[in-house]
Amino acid sequence: MPSPEPPFPRLRAALGAGFLATALLALGFQLWLPRVLPTRADDQAVADVLARESRPGDVVLLHPWWTERARLFVPPGLPVTGYLGDEGDALLEHPRIWVLAQPRLPRTAESEFARAFLPGRTPLDASRALGPYSLQLYRNGRARSVRFSAAEAMETASAVVDLPGQGRLGCPREGSAFRCPGGARVETSWHEVLYQPARCLFVAPPGGTGTVEITFEGVPPADVLRFEAAIVWEHAWKHTDNLTPLSAQLLDADTGTPLASLVVRPGTEGFVAAEAKAGSRRLRLRVQSDRADERETCLRLRALQTLEGAR
Amino acid sequence: MSRAPDRTDRRIALGLFLGSFALLWATEAAVGFVRDESVYFAAGEQVVRWLRLLVQMPGRAMSDSVTTQAFDFNHEHPLGMKLLFGLSWQLFHQGLGWLRPATAFRLPAFAVAATIPAVLHAWGAVLFGRRAGLFAALCFLAVPRHFFHAHLACFDMPVAALWLLVVYAFWRAETDPGWWLWTGLLFGAALATKHNALFLPLVLLPFALVRAVRASAGKPAARALLEQLGLVLVGGAALLGILALLLTPAGLLRGWELLSPPTAVIVLVAAALCLLGVRLHARDGATFRAVAPLLAMALVGPAVLYVVWPWLWYHPVDRFRAYLEFHATHVHYAWMYLGRVLREPPFPVFYVLVVTALTLPVSVLAPMGTGLLSVGVRAVTAGLPRLPGRSSGASASELLVGINALASIVLISLPDVPHFGGVKHWLPSMPFLALLAGSQVQLAGDALGAWLARRRPGLPAAAVTPALGALLLLPAATLTAHVHPYGTSAYGELAGGVPGAASLGMQRQYWSNNVTGVLGWINLHAPRGARVWLHEVHGLSFRDYQQNGMLRADLRPAGGPGDADVAAVQYHQEFREQEVAVWQAFGTTRPVAGLYIDETPQVVVYRRP
Repeated sequence: MPSPEPPFPRLRAALGAGFLATALLALGFQLWLPRVLPTRADDQAVADVLARESRPGDVVLLHPWWTERARLFVPPGLPVTGYLGDEGDALLEHPRIWVLAQPRLPRTAESEFARAFLPGRTPLDASRALGPYSLQLYRNGRARSVRFSAAEAMETASAVVDLPGQGRLGCPREGSAFRCPGGARVETSWHEVLYQPARCLFVAPPGGTGTVEITFEGVPPADVLRFEAAIVWEHAWKHTDNLTPLSAQLLDADTGTPLASLVVRPGTEGFVAAEAKAGSRRLRLRVQSDRADERETCLRLRALQTLEGAR
Repeated sequence: MSRAPDRTDRRIALGLFLGSFALLWATEAAVGFVRDESVYFAAGEQVVRWLRLLVQMPGRAMSDSVTTQAFDFNHEHPLGMKLLFGLSWQLFHQGLGWLRPATAFRLPAFAVAATIPAVLHAWGAVLFGRRAGLFAALCFLAVPRHFFHAHLACFDMPVAALWLLVVYAFWRAETDPGWWLWTGLLFGAALATKHNALFLPLVLLPFALVRAVRASAGKPAARALLEQLGLVLVGGAALLGILALLLTPAGLLRGWELLSPPTAVIVLVAAALCLLGVRLHARDGATFRAVAPLLAMALVGPAVLYVVWPWLWYHPVDRFRAYLEFHATHVHYAWMYLGRVLREPPFPVFYVLVVTALTLPVSVLAPMGTGLLSVGVRAVTAGLPRLPGRSSGASASELLVGINALASIVLISLPDVPHFGGVKHWLPSMPFLALLAGSQVQLAGDALGAWLARRRPGLPAAAVTPALGALLLLPAATLTAHVHPYGTSAYGELAGGVPGAASLGMQRQYWSNNVTGVLGWINLHAPRGARVWLHEVHGLSFRDYQQNGMLRADLRPAGGPGDADVAAVQYHQEFREQEVAVWQAFGTTRPVAGLYIDETPQVVVYRRP
């Protein structure tokens, strides 16, 4: 059953020409792609610049966000940020940002990156081309001096749980963590919050009306307290009826005055945040959720001070 | 007129089968064991143990308790391919010692996958022309994800092959005696392979009805028998419906035993269909050939499934129901799509089309797309008045190909159907798209050749189509060679290749086989006796990598980062927490090695400092 004589011979010929063009373009793409990929020498050139010119407090921001192979060769001790949505990250702990970009990679969205990244950032030098890499240093106008971070202050912290019918019970320290009666626990650890790796105060509440409280002593003076809470990993997305909201409160530990309150409802992905006036030297965090299942929380409490003179 | 390919095309088809089989075998060693595959390896071993018992103590082997015990493992999939995997392993590894275990298990999968290019040529050569058939055959296997799936001792490529074979047999049955029985037998094999096959009768029923009505036109006796066949089917369905109403559907299924009213209805319907089929065969061959393939599918197909799958033998209704329920209520795995993680239905209705477009090499996508469009346009406009130069409507054969090209795509596009698994769930559509691609390349190439010959008379016009076909295949084959053996990571030019897909926010990989990219580093650098956490890799796969000489035998599996010395993390957007857990456990955010395809992280290795 051979094909009948095709109609529209010119259209068919044009289709053939279209196929031919498609094949040539596709072949061209396959030949071009390896030429925009960095070599080991390019990696080394980037590593050399960063080793020579980076300072403590700097961070490397990857663009596109997924080019995490850089973690292999960026000098040790220099943090690398690369996660979906990182172009909008304030990176407030870092006064200077090295943007390590591969702009020639297919579908690298330059304008979207610039729109989210550039506000508040000022180039400190010209972009350097190192093979297919471009490396540029920026002053981070969104940076703040972090005078206090709860996640890094566990040594001076104490924790208790307040359980119905049992009252306030101290949480024994286990290394840098607290293991509390009623199954609650508190520790500093890395977790994912909406794809972002976050080193934070990890709190598992006891459930019911019970609360876990963490008290920090000797908080230094600052302009503002930034308080953030999120449910970790995929549990944040879950929104079934058996899950309950998580409430987190920041209090002045001396007076018991609430300074900020956050509620993370089931299905809320990413951090919810609040700011409060700084000033108290003793701060307390109180965390509660009616059902403790899958309500493990990543808390960030930082005392921030306006930064002057980033270079 | 017979639809059999001629001798030359049969030889080409045989060559394609042998060549594909050899190519898959030659490129198999680097392909990692996907999560499910190690389960099927284990199930294959289990089948062999049962077969040994069957030889030694047949009565005991066939008892309810032993068949239940032997086949309960992985009973969510029928036994057909697992039986072949096990037999091949027993023969080529255990018996003859010729092959490593994994290759022995995979050998039947290569054979079944290799039938696709062969059938595509045999069918395409008759339907559209030899060059069309050849392009269809080659372009199917040149697609990176098809090439990858063709290596696996799994069911996705086999069910694609059997779907194609069933439809091919159905098509042949219209003109060639005996093919109606092949349709039934092949449908049974498809049922015994994967549940996708359950949808085949729905796709073929309209074609059989149209065929039968046309064939019986002007033949009152044949038409009367046809109507009786219809009445029997409708009557049987009505009786089962009444029973379901009286007993409730759940009660009907619960109380369904071997000797029960529903069984009686089914036996009576089957007997009546057989009787009427015999009478129709005697009365009118053409009408018989129109409906016989579907009758064979209805009668022979389930029988093959039942015979091949001993787990059903003593509890056919309960267990078949459990099998269906497993797939009807399958868990929705998280899946990255255009920058967001899909976790629950409703899923985007264009997901399948978008993923197909982004994963196919564009030089294959273009003729597939125009082929489908051509059939669709001609089918829709068939009833319109003919214009000068306008093409004729799509033939029934083309429609058969076109509908089957769409069937699995449409099915998986339904918003509530699980969407994980890359392209493998709609693989049965792809051979048909390849056929349509072949038709387009031949038509367009011939027209281009004629057009060029008119301008340059010395030009060998006949060479244009083969040259065009080769040029279209070249980028696809280049991409396939480039990403092999990491086929689940492959993306075509429309996506911008693997890095473009990463920026688009597409799923980076799945099924964990890419871990082979870092096993060499682990073998070289892991301390002796180290505990290794291969994230997402099935526990059985760890064993299989060691048994197949791909992972050092002294290494021990770790349950997670906490008890590991070395961790290999698969990059999945939904598993970021697990890489971060390694940072926490190892006290470092700095990897030591990894598999990066065109810069995209696939598997990242950490070593405890």
